[in-house]
Amino acid sequence: MGKIGSRTGIAVVAAAAGALLLAACGGGGSSTEGASGAASAAPSAAASEAAGGAGTPQQGGTITILTNAEQLQTMDPQVIYTGEDLAFLGATIMRSLTTYQMSADNNEGTSLVADMATDTGTASNGGKTWQFTLKDGIKWEDGKPVTCADVAYGVSRTFATDIIAGGPTYALVYLDIPTNEDGSSQYKGPYSGEGQELFDKAVSCDGNTITFNLNQPVPDFNYTVTLGFSAVRKDADTGAEYADKPLSNGPYKIESYQKGKGGKLVLVRNDQWDPASDGWRLALPDSWEYNFGLDEAAIDQRIIASAGPDEYALTNGLTTASLPIVFDNPQYESRRIDAFDPYTRYVAIDTVKVPNEKCRQAFGVALNREALRTIAGGKYAGDYADGLVKPNIGADYAPTGLWEGLLGQPVPDTGDAEFAKKLIAEAGDCPTEITLDYAQSADADKAAAVWVDSFKAVGITLKPNPIEPGQYYGIVFDPEKAHELITAGWGPDWPNASTVIPPLTTPNGGFDLSRWDDQAWNDQVKAASQELDRAKQATMWQALNTDAAKKMLVIPTRFGRDQRMAGTKVGPVYSWPAYGSWPYAAMGVTG
Amino acid sequence: MHGAGATPVTITVATPGIGPQAGADAASIQGRSIWQIAWSRFRRDRVAMACLILLALFILVAVFAPIICSWFGVDPYELDPTAIDPDEAGKPIGPWGGASLAHPLGVEWGTGRDILARLLFGLRISLLIAFTATFLTTAIGTTIGIISGYSRGLVDSAIGRMMDLILAFPFLLIILALSGALTERITALGVPEGNASRITYLIIVLSVFGWPYLARIIRGQVLSLREREFVESAIASGAGTGRILFTEILPNLWAPILVYATLTLPAYIGTEAVLSFLGVGLLPPEPSFGVMLSESVKYFTLVPSYLFIPGTVLVILVVTFNIVGDAVRDALDPRAGRQ
Repeated sequence: MGKIGSRTGIAVVAAAAGALLLAACGGGGSSTEGASGAASAAPSAAASEAAGGAGTPQQGGTITILTNAEQLQTMDPQVIYTGEDLAFLGATIMRSLTTYQMSADNNEGTSLVADMATDTGTASNGGKTWQFTLKDGIKWEDGKPVTCADVAYGVSRTFATDIIAGGPTYALVYLDIPTNEDGSSQYKGPYSGEGQELFDKAVSCDGNTITFNLNQPVPDFNYTVTLGFSAVRKDADTGAEYADKPLSNGPYKIESYQKGKGGKLVLVRNDQWDPASDGWRLALPDSWEYNFGLDEAAIDQRIIASAGPDEYALTNGLTTASLPIVFDNPQYESRRIDAFDPYTRYVAIDTVKVPNEKCRQAFGVALNREALRTIAGGKYAGDYADGLVKPNIGADYAPTGLWEGLLGQPVPDTGDAEFAKKLIAEAGDCPTEITLDYAQSADADKAAAVWVDSFKAVGITLKPNPIEPGQYYGIVFDPEKAHELITAGWGPDWPNASTVIPPLTTPNGGFDLSRWDDQAWNDQVKAASQELDRAKQATMWQALNTDAAKKMLVIPTRFGRDQRMAGTKVGPVYSWPAYGSWPYAAMGVTG
Repeated sequence: MHGAGATPVTITVATPGIGPQAGADAASIQGRSIWQIAWSRFRRDRVAMACLILLALFILVAVFAPIICSWFGVDPYELDPTAIDPDEAGKPIGPWGGASLAHPLGVEWGTGRDILARLLFGLRISLLIAFTATFLTTAIGTTIGIISGYSRGLVDSAIGRMMDLILAFPFLLIILALSGALTERITALGVPEGNASRITYLIIVLSVFGWPYLARIIRGQVLSLREREFVESAIASGAGTGRILFTEILPNLWAPILVYATLTLPAYIGTEAVLSFLGVGLLPPEPSFGVMLSESVKYFTLVPSYLFIPGTVLVILVVTFNIVGDAVRDALDPRAGRQ
């Protein structure tokens, strides 16, 4: 589940120390799928193990989502990368080859099931070839059938990188299409057509069966296709404008979409959707609405009061100010959620600007992580992180012991100035003035004060550098503009650390803010990525995670949590482990 | 009739109907300058005097904020984890925002920083920015307004169009968009990096966008003043333009200038608040009056004092400035309010 992004993204999440939600979410829980994608038919999405829930969901009604954001980031199937959006749009207008089981259970809720495909895919050729067969009866909202060619066309749009940008890039990385010397693909996308024959060899259709030829073994490719591999019909493609008006193949279609304060996205039933072709979506409400641009404090008040139409409302977060009200009051128990979100919050240390490992360790030791956690919401903000990989990913996580002795002695949560000074003395050449980049918000400014304090205690002058959230990643990805410390967050795209460690610690991973580029390390990561034995792969990831923690490529601050609330007549109420989102596909009004 | 001059005039009055010895007893009455007259009128307004004293207190408190804070034993930067509850999302422990002997006005949510100290220090910066910006706006606005009104013709038109242009600009958008680049320029000019540059940036943009309002008022006044006989007589007696502007015209402008200044200053405090909220204000961990105000709305249900304390301070500031402004205008020109 990619990076945490700008304020205009979805969640008004309590944890705010520079962590903002943007990118795709893959979710936690252990994956029970083997590398060959065991075929399991899509069970009907009856989500029963809800944490409370106000009665059985019924047919009819309108569910409204209240948000502070002024729009959805995008509705283009090849660009959507935010967990909440993937869950919502996936449940309503965008089907994909595979998806995750609809369940509150951590294991079940992250296990792969089929959606448009008849099963979760078949691998061959050592994991370098994957095949999926489309079900019958899947139609677009205008009645035409969804064909294999539509899926291939959708995937091909990822290669038009000048128009389709910001989305998952797995198609570019994995499909067996030659690249140029500068690393760019020789296929330039369907709008230009250059290299189309190369794409057609990598992705081919035979009747209803689509075949992907990959350039390396990818044991979990059937998970990859949940991100950016959804269908787009060529004659309906409007390029960059498709993000605002996509054609639907799900149970709902777009009636209207207006951005900005007071704007709304309205989805109504798609009469061309055939429930028999789709066992995963219950499609209970008659319509869905997204209300944009609402004031955060006002959203909280409305959802707590749950009066009138707000009885059927949902929010994607709660401000720290509301948490004591919601969680101290037993009357809200059945409609509030407090669960791990998919993200690890951390601060990357630029290893080119701070090459000495002991200096970086000193930074981590000096930091008062407890004060940061309190500012972010205390116990509601999450647990202390000990590495990049989060426990709810499942098998790939093992405690690194980073703060329990991995550095030579235990480090208290409030930081240890003496130990840090000792490390600095041993290093000998640590910078005495460093800058912290972070996305500006009132809470992030409070957190910056903690950083200044912590580093002053060890004799380092830390300068906070607040950056406007909309421009944040654009700036910090530029090595000229970024500074020594960069605040970020990341969640796995699916329950495998292959979507955490390679992106964050290898130069071609796409999110290596630490600018770590070590050949021996890269080889180890590649070996783990391609390991077909899942159990062996898990131990390899664990070892790499611990090693990264010791090298302090980042200072892990928190394993984040997420709080949200539903109106009194919406259910079921639980956090869907796949994306840490509402279980949209199973939700309905309950009275 | 002679316009408002600056020099006192001594008049010896001969009491009529009494002989020469009466002349020797005649008192010599010291004429008073416009300022002395205005001050005595102002002094008679009890409410205005009270407000003036209150204002002086505010300024003193802001200037001596560090000393006052050390009396109370509070510090605006010091985190106090014992005053907040991490299991309650960082809520201050106790009513009134965690008020106690150690923290007379409570603590900040999530960090435990002292509210009284942050209020005083924040007020200090806000008043610094507001006073400086007001001074600059007034100086620039008056000067350009006088030049424009007195010159007429091409100069007046050119200045008028420039004012229209500035007034038409979307103020907030420009401030946000240019903040990074211009602050860097300011640093390059030698101002210390960080908050000094940011404060300078704020003062400059507030002044650049504020002067046209006063300039228009002044221009209007000057246009009517220059037709008056005392100006004509000064021109006729060969006075240079500079002398006319500063000795004849400017003294008649103090009323609108002072009123404008006393109204603008609290407005600038509010503007600084908005800008801080939008992220163009001071770097953390510096406190900002504006951020205190804007953040307080979020916590209103649980800790209303977060809003009431800075809110009351702001209300008092605005009201006292307005009262003083009105009283100054009345004192300088009692007929002005009744025209």
